[in-house]
Amino acid sequence: MTARKSIGEIFGFFFFLGRRTGKTRVFALLGLFPVILAFVVRVVFHGRSGDMAAVFTEILMVFLLQFYIVILSLFYGTSVVAEEIEGRTLSYLITRPLPKPAIVLGKYAAYALLMFLMVAVSLSLSFFILNTGRLADPSLYLTFIGYLGVLGLGILAYTAFFTFLGAVLKRAILVGLVFGFGWENVIQYFPGSTQKFSIVHYLKSVLPYRPTGGGGGRLALLLFKLEPTAPAVAVLMLAVVAGALLALACWFFRMKEYLYEE
Amino acid sequence: MTAVIAATHLSKWYGNVLGLNDVSLEIEAGITGLLGPNGAGKSTFMKLITGQMKPNIGTVTVRGRKVWNNPAIFAGIGFCPEHDVFYEDVTGWEFVTGLLRFYGYSGSDIKQRAARALDIVELTKDKDRLIRGYSRGMRQRVKFAQAIAHDPEIIVLDEPLSGLDPLGKRKLIKLIKAFRDEGRTVLVSSHVLPEIEALTSRIVLVHQGKILAQGDIPYIRELIEAHPHMISVRSSDPRALAACFVGDRSIQKMSFAPDGRTFVVETHKRDDFFARLTGVVLEGGIEVEEISSPDDNLQAVFEYLVGK
Repeated sequence: MTARKSIGEIFGFFFFLGRRTGKTRVFALLGLFPVILAFVVRVVFHGRSGDMAAVFTEILMVFLLQFYIVILSLFYGTSVVAEEIEGRTLSYLITRPLPKPAIVLGKYAAYALLMFLMVAVSLSLSFFILNTGRLADPSLYLTFIGYLGVLGLGILAYTAFFTFLGAVLKRAILVGLVFGFGWENVIQYFPGSTQKFSIVHYLKSVLPYRPTGGGGGRLALLLFKLEPTAPAVAVLMLAVVAGALLALACWFFRMKEYLYEE
Repeated sequence: MTAVIAATHLSKWYGNVLGLNDVSLEIEAGITGLLGPNGAGKSTFMKLITGQMKPNIGTVTVRGRKVWNNPAIFAGIGFCPEHDVFYEDVTGWEFVTGLLRFYGYSGSDIKQRAARALDIVELTKDKDRLIRGYSRGMRQRVKFAQAIAHDPEIIVLDEPLSGLDPLGKRKLIKLIKAFRDEGRTVLVSSHVLPEIEALTSRIVLVHQGKILAQGDIPYIRELIEAHPHMISVRSSDPRALAACFVGDRSIQKMSFAPDGRTFVVETHKRDDFFARLTGVVLEGGIEVEEISSPDDNLQAVFEYLVGK
């Protein structure tokens, strides 16, 4: 079997499995939280200025970008390898005629798509509920696509990072928590080039916003202290980070011997 | 015969714990039983030959090809793990078909193979139930099904009979023997001696990471000359029978069982004893009702070898 076909088969199997797990149900429910919030906001602020929708859209993006995709990527990314070890199901995979990197890449792709679908549902429902007054405005859809793109990029980059952690470390989830909610949440507000050592910096740099002087305007929450990198460079950085970490994860997975805990 | 699986000076350790120590072994087609207590190194050996572990020292090959990081060889190997672990949120059918996808078969081929494997293990009726709802025996059988579904030439079964009821065990033993009859290589591990005895006489005794003995049961018997064979003879006149053997130098010890009708001897030369016994019976006219060898089984062999 070719490497591409192997990846495809692993992808298919784990996309199917992933939809069945309790973890997916829990995270899908968590994704409904902003939808409910958007609905409440819409009802409470009915008939008021459109700015209110913009403010809450920003809050929505903070939740999705800095919490939801991070926690999703943390749990799905680390589980690419770790769940096979903890569940002792790795034997079923590595005794098949599959190149080991195909297992990592196929599962990564399956889980990334699964997460993207959860995020897409959450964003689209909450975004359009908040912005029902602007549904005739074409720029709204461009903004939506931009947000969705940023979240998609975030899923790819974070999941690659956490997949790498899961392939290398035994307790990857703890290190991942420190990274995702410690390092990423702090370092992004550092002035100068320090913030460029976080993934979220590059994600924020490609947010679909129009600076209105003073840095950020309506998107102040998201762009607070951001010294953006050019969007093309940011996308390139995210792609390089994701690609390099995935390559490393594959290499470790191929070379490392995983032992089950007795 | 050519070795299908060959291990040469194989050693594996986990930190300070020695899992396998300088094991050299050649496994040929047919059934080979890997026997030893828990923690003896059976599973370590099986993981090494199925590429789940990398040897610290030595080599392991399947059909002359190295195992570690060589996925191509797994097209011809079926592995049934020891642990009762599954992707629990799928049905038996989804489990077997899902794993068959990794061999590059077409959709129709996958369905056909899965149906056949589940039929062999008699799970056709329950194939659409979630695995988490299966009984222990059913789980063991679906695990076996995934190991044979791709029709492998080599089948590695780690404690395959554990958790099965007597009928299930008998069926699985029959099935494993059928694979042997087809010329396949089957390696089975167990810590339960009668299970291995029921499957094969070609055994490898493993203890504390080392191979204590290998061969068929009589051959292993020969290896343990230091320990005499125990033979019981039930007779209408056991004392008269015993009197005939008093001067026999091949007899080390004689005793009488509490039933008063059985005379028990310990001898290093079993064949000589039986030859003489035949003569005594024919010439002396002493009636012999039953001859048995209470320790002529794998349990006894194993206990002698590990020095219990």
